[in-house]
Amino acid sequence: MIGTTKKPLAEILTALDGYQKVALVGCDGCAKVCLTGGTDEVAAMAQQLKEQGKDIVFEATPERTCNVVKAHPVLEPLQERIKEADAVLVLGCGGAVQITRHLTEQYGITVAVKTGLNSVGHMDTLIGGTLALEQCQECGDCILNDTGGICPVTKCAKSLLNGPCGGSEDGKCEANPLNDCAWVLIYHRLAALGELDRLRRFVAAKDYSKAAKPRTLHIKEGRVA
Amino acid sequence: MKLTELFAKEKFVVTSEVGPVKGCCRPGEPGDQPAFIQEAVSIRDYVHAVNVTDNQSARMRLGSLAASVLLKRHGIEPIYQLTCRDRNRLALQSDLLSACSLGLDNVLCLTGDHLRQGDHPNAKAVFDLDSVQLLEMARGLNQGRDMTGHQLTQPTDLCLGAVVNPNFQPLDLQLLKMENKIAQGAQFFQTQTVYDPKVFETFVRRVEGFGVPIQYGLVVIKSPQMARYMNEHISGVTVPLDLIDEMAGVPPEGYKDKAREITARLIRELAPMVQGVHFMPLGWSDLIPQVMAKTKGFCR
Repeated sequence: MIGTTKKPLAEILTALDGYQKVALVGCDGCAKVCLTGGTDEVAAMAQQLKEQGKDIVFEATPERTCNVVKAHPVLEPLQERIKEADAVLVLGCGGAVQITRHLTEQYGITVAVKTGLNSVGHMDTLIGGTLALEQCQECGDCILNDTGGICPVTKCAKSLLNGPCGGSEDGKCEANPLNDCAWVLIYHRLAALGELDRLRRFVAAKDYSKAAKPRTLHIKEGRVA
Repeated sequence: MKLTELFAKEKFVVTSEVGPVKGCCRPGEPGDQPAFIQEAVSIRDYVHAVNVTDNQSARMRLGSLAASVLLKRHGIEPIYQLTCRDRNRLALQSDLLSACSLGLDNVLCLTGDHLRQGDHPNAKAVFDLDSVQLLEMARGLNQGRDMTGHQLTQPTDLCLGAVVNPNFQPLDLQLLKMENKIAQGAQFFQTQTVYDPKVFETFVRRVEGFGVPIQYGLVVIKSPQMARYMNEHISGVTVPLDLIDEMAGVPPEGYKDKAREITARLIRELAPMVQGVHFMPLGWSDLIPQVMAKTKGFCR
């Protein structure tokens, strides 16, 4: 999922300065899991904005706002209501915000689309409702087959591909001692699998062109451009 | 002069280290030479070469390339430290071409400390290459080609050094990386600072067959406070408590004498196991002449 955190209300109010009538769009996908933009959080935000003197035009929460297939059926019937709004505040990831903006443009509506959240990474939920970890940064050239299923590109603070730096101590990372050293994890995992010889191989410099932004995925062809 | 030439002559290679200033060194400006040049000049006759750190501890300083060239002008053989933290592969290759073109002979290839430990923690870290890939790339430049196989009009001619941390646990993992560095072109190693002779001996026994010269690295302990700080904040380094107690047993005005004594003792005990010593005096370069006199004959 895409991890999100709430922006401070003061920052949201600054973004909404000059916009009286606000439509609220949440996301019952990732943002719901992160307790930042599901139906409940949208209702809470509506209440907060009302208390700050804003008029709430509507509240809507598609199942996955980043996906037009899910967002369009919810927003399309709301076109006339969107036209009433001075701004749309989206409680979703950066993708949800931009799909909402994209749909309003498709509907021929020019309206400010603002975000109430910060997106903080591709996150994997470890403890439901409590803890999520960043373990993959979609580099486009996955090496998990060679690293015991542990990604050094993401979990090593320096994205090292040929073993640890000298700063690891007691299996912890020099950049953040709360984090495990990815390479110590990889070493123990490969040792358990009897595959330590993998660490003898030189890993050439990564092809970062595969992560050059912005990427477009042609789904039927399985092609990235 | 390349360090490899000294090792080939079976010299016991002695190097030290200076950190460039946070500021400019414009030639012809009035005033004293910057401290790092003064330091390097003061030990010129006691060491074979002097490392020049690259934005050490991720703190922005005068560049190690410029500072290395300045040392060379003062008759000091520099070891140009180059890290992967602040430059992508274009910049790293270009800087190595520059280093060779400016007359440098030795480069120490490192990963680099993380930005979070430095004075620009909000910067974007690069780490396009790691230290092993940096060595492979530098060897390629020596062979006359860049990372994409394009021919150079003139190859570089640089002696390539690397670092290893004998304190690392599990040591096997660190040694796998060391072997990988050797396979990719590392011609000599400088170790992270080690204070426990047993740790160093274990390391030395494991690397005896590796066939590359190694210099014992030693950060001079300047006070018990500094030693405790290193234990708490410098990852990958452990100062034994008895050493801290020994330092704490003298009044502050005696720290420098005690530092000299401890440094000389560690070098007598540990350095003969390897092919050289690398001091990291952190400003106390004036200890080095006395320490070298005290250890004379102990280093092969």
